[in-house]
Order: sequence, then C-alpha cells, then structure tokens
Amino acid sequence: MNKIKIRICVGTSCFVMGSAQIQSLEFNAPADIADHIEIVEERCMGLCREIAVKHNHGPFVFVDDELIESATYEKVVAKIREKLKKIS
Amino acid sequence: MSDSLFIEIGTAQQQKYGEDCYGDTIYSKKIPDERRIISILSDGLGSGVKANILSSMTTRMAMKFVESNMELAHSSDIIMDALPICQIRKISYATFSVVDTELDGKTRVFEMDNPPFMMIRNGRPVNVRCRAISSEKWKNRTINISQITNQEEDRLILISDGVSQAGIGNHKYPLGWQRQGCLDFVLEKIRKNPHVSAAELAQNIVGEALNKEVNRRAGDDISCVVLYFRKPRKLLVLSGPPFDESRDREYAELVSDYDGKTAICGGTTANIVERELCLKCVIDKTSIDPNIPMCSIMDGVDLVTEGILTLTDVYRMLKEGIDTDRNNGATRLARLLLDSDRIDFVVGTKINIAHQDPNLPMELEIRRNIIKNIIRILQEKYLKETSVRYI
Repeated sequence: MNKIKIRICVGTSCFVMGSAQIQSLEFNAPADIADHIEIVEERCMGLCREIAVKHNHGPFVFVDDELIESATYEKVVAKIREKLKKIS
Repeated sequence: MSDSLFIEIGTAQQQKYGEDCYGDTIYSKKIPDERRIISILSDGLGSGVKANILSSMTTRMAMKFVESNMELAHSSDIIMDALPICQIRKISYATFSVVDTELDGKTRVFEMDNPPFMMIRNGRPVNVRCRAISSEKWKNRTINISQITNQEEDRLILISDGVSQAGIGNHKYPLGWQRQGCLDFVLEKIRKNPHVSAAELAQNIVGEALNKEVNRRAGDDISCVVLYFRKPRKLLVLSGPPFDESRDREYAELVSDYDGKTAICGGTTANIVERELCLKCVIDKTSIDPNIPMCSIMDGVDLVTEGILTLTDVYRMLKEGIDTDRNNGATRLARLLLDSDRIDFVVGTKINIAHQDPNLPMELEIRRNIIKNIIRILQEKYLKETSVRYI
C-alpha cells in the first residue's frame, strides 16, 4: 500500500500559525497511522499570498492532493484516518 | 580592506572561585579610520569588585593614551603616576599588556608586570626582543616594549598571572602551570588544528588552566586574549525577495559569483535562488526545533534558513550568547556569522503580504529593521566588518 503523503508548509506565517505542532507527526504520530504516512516539509508554498482572495488562513497542509486550510494536528490526523478508511 | 590582514580577537575569562565579577579586564577597540586595533589586558591587584574597578580604570586610561598616539615614555609615566600603589604591599595595583596593531602588520606590545606575551609563527614560538623603559620616578616599575611585523597566520597570546599560576596548591603543579606549560599546550593545540580560531583557543587555554586547579576552582582571576592574524573569512547573507521581480536573476547570481561562504535567510529567497540557478534545495530534517523553522540544504550554499523568525532569534542570541544545546537554523546562522570576519548583507525589500495579516499570533519584525540591528551588534560587540545593500 502506498503511503499517504503529508506536505506541511513551514514558511514563516504557517509556522507561527501552528505548523510546528503538525510537524510533530514525524516523531510521534498515533500508532494506527504512523506506518501509513510520509511527512514532507516544504518552504513557503506561496498559498498565503492569496489569503482572502482564494484561501482561508494557514497553516496549509496537503494530505495527498487535498488541501487543508487553518490546519491543526487534530484536523490532519482526522483527515488521514478518513483516507485510510476509504482505502481499506 | 578586504585584502589586508584581518585580526581575529578571541577572549576568555574566569573569575576567582567565589567572586561575582572578574578582577581582570579585557578591552579591545577598532579604529577603522587608521586601520588599527588596540587590545588591552589588565589584572587588578586582589580579586572581586576592587580589582575589577582598578583593572577597568587601567584599561580605559591606557586605551586613551595609546589611541591618541601619545609618546610612550611619557604616557607610561602618567599611567604609572595614576596607578595607585597599595599602602601595605608597596606594589602597583594593576598590571597591563597592550597590543597596538595596524592592519598592515606593524605591531607594538607594551607590558607591565603581566606574564610576557607569547608569539607563535609557523607553529613555533618566537622570542621577541624587548626594550625596557623604567620610570625615573618609579624605580621598581618597568615597561617592556616589543615591536613586531606580523604576517599571516601569526598569533599573539596575552595571559594574566591566573593562567601561569594555575594549579598552585595542587601537589601535581607545585609552581603552577607556568607560562611554559601554557605555551606547550597552545603549540599542541595549533599542531592538531592549524586554523583553530582565536575564540576557541582562548577558551581552551582558560579551560585547561582551570583543569590544573584543585576541584576546578580558580585560585585567581584567569584571563586570556588571543589575536589571530589571517586572511578575512567572507560571508554573504541574502535575505528577502528583490523589490522588482526582474532583478531576481541578478540577485541569485550574487550567490554563484561570491568568493566566500554564502547563507540564504528566507523561504521565498531560497525559492528564487533555486529557480534562477537551477539548484536543488531540500529540507534538512536534522534541524527540527519547536520554535525555529527547519533549514534546507542547497548545493553551493553553506546555509539555507527561514527568514524573519530565524533572524529575530539570531539577534537575540548575539545579544545574550548562543544557545549551546540546540542545533536549529538560528544557532547555525549565528555561529556562521561569528566565524566570519567580513559579512556582506544583501536585503530584498519586497514586503511579504502574508506577514501583514493581523491574525498572525506574534509580532513579526520588519526585515530591514532586524537586519539593521544585527549589523549594529556585529560591528560594535564583535568588531566585524560589514556592508549592506538593498535591492
């Protein structure tokens, strides 16, 4: 089974909005999802430039191709579980 | 100035065990107009606050005299006159060593009562002949004057008697570590690492002196100054996207054309350089930290970090000292700055709209201001040569 790719923006504004907490998935993800994800940090993805026009606030996280705005650790974990359920 | 010799000054001090402040004082000053650096070490009689005041007075006085090029015999007389003599012990209150050096290598050293300075060239000690001047007024005081023409890779080391006498009372070193012991230690260090920085060498000397003491408790104030003559180490710091996008290419090429180390501070800046120079840039996961975004690794660039948060933390550390227990983008950048002698900043002035978002939970500094602060502290506290250019 392919791993789910989590892309976390660690640009300045996403970082101060909370992407640092989401990064902790790398080291202590819940046991049920830990083996099924791959974490990739990215420098500013540039989505923050379109706040109000196109996007809500950061932090921005992609779970595979799906964008999560105003992402939190819980939101991302919930999305991963949802995806895992679909696959199985 | 970039082609002339550069002088790195490294200092380290340890106060006598149980005292709150240093009895020795080290004071260095750069006079850019005359391309001159003056460094003074003074040891006040006794220890603690009294010694601190006496040695501070001495360094300030000596600095004024040397700086204003007063005739030596005369100015030393005035210093001797001004230095009080202990009523009971009949000896002078504070000793001093002064190194007055110009960037073309002409150096003079004046010493009074400190252990003689050490000069090391090509890994070997050099004995410098000195001339002694004694005052007509003060029979038992002599100032030794040495003149040297320094060349690249020379080192001059000043120590206080706390170094040479370290270990007195320890049965292994009945006469203390002595100047010769210290010199042997320094030569061994230089043999192992010929390019050891002045700061590291000074710390090593003080650390080793402390090792000689019983229970590592300093019996006297221990101080050391190392002057290291060498070619300047250059560093280019790029931060922020250019105001005008059409200059991205020119901006990125600064990195490939630079003859020294390079650092990039800013995610967007890194993206620009990556795009324009067709380099590959990947996140470096070893730099993870809850407070500072991660670094990246880019071929041909020595360090790639995030921008504002990292720079803000670097400024804090330049003021308060570098955190030793962390290895994130900010500590790496701070170390890189301190390891360099000449630092060229190029700052892109485009405003990052995302940072203006009122919902951001913390204060984000304006790039130009934080860089201005960093440059000021690098010049004033660390005597670095800097330049800044806005694009």
